[in-house]
Amino acid sequence: MKGSSPRPFQVFLTEAGGFSLFVSRFFGNAFHRRFEWREFIRQSVQNGNGSLPLVAVTAFIMGLVLTVQSRPTLARFGAESMLPAMVAISMVREIVPVITALICAGKIASGMSAELGSMKVTEQIDAMEVSGTNPFRYLAVTRIWSTTLMVPLLVILADGIAIWASWVGMNMKEPVSWQLFQRQVFDSLALGDVLPALIKSIFFGFVVGAMGCFKGFTTAKGTEGVGRSAHNAVVYSSLLIFIIDLLAVQITDLMGLN
Amino acid sequence: MASPATPATAPQPREKVLSLRGLELAFGDNRVLRGFDLDLYRGENVMVLGKSGSGKSVLIKCIVRLLMPTGGSIEVLGQDVLALGQEELDHLRVKVGFLFQSSALYDSMTVEENLRFPLRRHWLATSAGEADGLVEEMLGAVGLAHTRKLYPSELSGGMKRRIALARTLILKPEIVLYDEPTTGLDPITGKEIVELILKLQRTYGTSSIIISHDLHVARLAANRIALLHEGRKYAEGTYDEFRASQDPLIQKFFIFM
Repeated sequence: MKGSSPRPFQVFLTEAGGFSLFVSRFFGNAFHRRFEWREFIRQSVQNGNGSLPLVAVTAFIMGLVLTVQSRPTLARFGAESMLPAMVAISMVREIVPVITALICAGKIASGMSAELGSMKVTEQIDAMEVSGTNPFRYLAVTRIWSTTLMVPLLVILADGIAIWASWVGMNMKEPVSWQLFQRQVFDSLALGDVLPALIKSIFFGFVVGAMGCFKGFTTAKGTEGVGRSAHNAVVYSSLLIFIIDLLAVQITDLMGLN
Repeated sequence: MASPATPATAPQPREKVLSLRGLELAFGDNRVLRGFDLDLYRGENVMVLGKSGSGKSVLIKCIVRLLMPTGGSIEVLGQDVLALGQEELDHLRVKVGFLFQSSALYDSMTVEENLRFPLRRHWLATSAGEADGLVEEMLGAVGLAHTRKLYPSELSGGMKRRIALARTLILKPEIVLYDEPTTGLDPITGKEIVELILKLQRTYGTSSIIISHDLHVARLAANRIALLHEGRKYAEGTYDEFRASQDPLIQKFFIFM
């Protein structure tokens, strides 16, 4: 019945439908023969470099804090030797991919949305289109591919930093050799820990780029709309990251990888 | 005192470069265009006159398919715009320049990069030197050669409009669509922009549709004026014919003249 649906539900359906169409449009353009390599490389460098300091500092703190805080509990059960394995598995499988993706959602998705939104409301995207350049291919496809590539790379880097920070944390209590620590870490990690985490971080990267571009391209109502788009890009991409994480856990569980 | 610029004379015989027939566009219940007809001939300047909100900008956005009309036909340089595929449309768009009311310069690029962008996209300059030459030529033509390394935020409104004009013309289009080219500018800068448009039109041999509500622009630049009212072409004629008209609606536009 007309008007009976609650407004938030209508908004949800509109957004979900719009995002689905946007994603299908991406796949329709993603493998076009005239790929914008120059813009893709520029975006990858910008997104990767721009997020690296924040991701690195956060990974270091996460590794250090988890080690320092877990030690007393493990010590109570006489399982202190399990500390490197526990920290490595929890970091690589779950904490680092999710936190890195959330940082990228906050930094990259909002930035993309604000940049593209400003271009939309100032007719720069229209100007690009009338000059015979496909703005979707030039602006959106390159950005989405760049985050799909850069987020997993940032996750790999953050994994390394978090594990090194864990070793630093262990050394704060008693000295442990890096070789011994490293051996314990790599003995505990299996391909079933690393691969699913990397695969889901590819999806996280895709969601960050796609949501940032989607909210940017659909910005309306002037500068106020730009702010709203940036905000929504962060909220929606963060939500999607958690949903993908939940699905990934279920899938790996069904595959017996947990 | 310098004499005002005179409109370019329409050549004979006349070759039609653009034709709109029964153009319709609606946003929901709001029918903005209700069967608008217009022809543009080579070398001619046609001004579409109308009140704010009458659908003038919407009209030229339909011509380059930034908006999709709900009815009617658009023929540009012999091609049916509404039937073109994306690739063909992109090729046609190179031949149809569009000057935005807001100038729409890419604000993360310098003036030079703004001008190079369309060249690079269409491989129109085969070497860096050739692209450099074209950029220099266009910046010289609009009298802003010294702004090459500046960003749009460092330019005044009039300068932005000139750079946007240079960017539009660097692809050497056959038709140029001007969306309110003098709006937001002081009268002196506005007149300079119109004179520049006429000068560049003579140099590059373009045909133009100029959207405006300003009859000063019509007096200086238009060979013909089409009055858009309630989504249709209400009247068509030269500036002098409009000036002499006793029609109350047309006379309203001369209130401030």
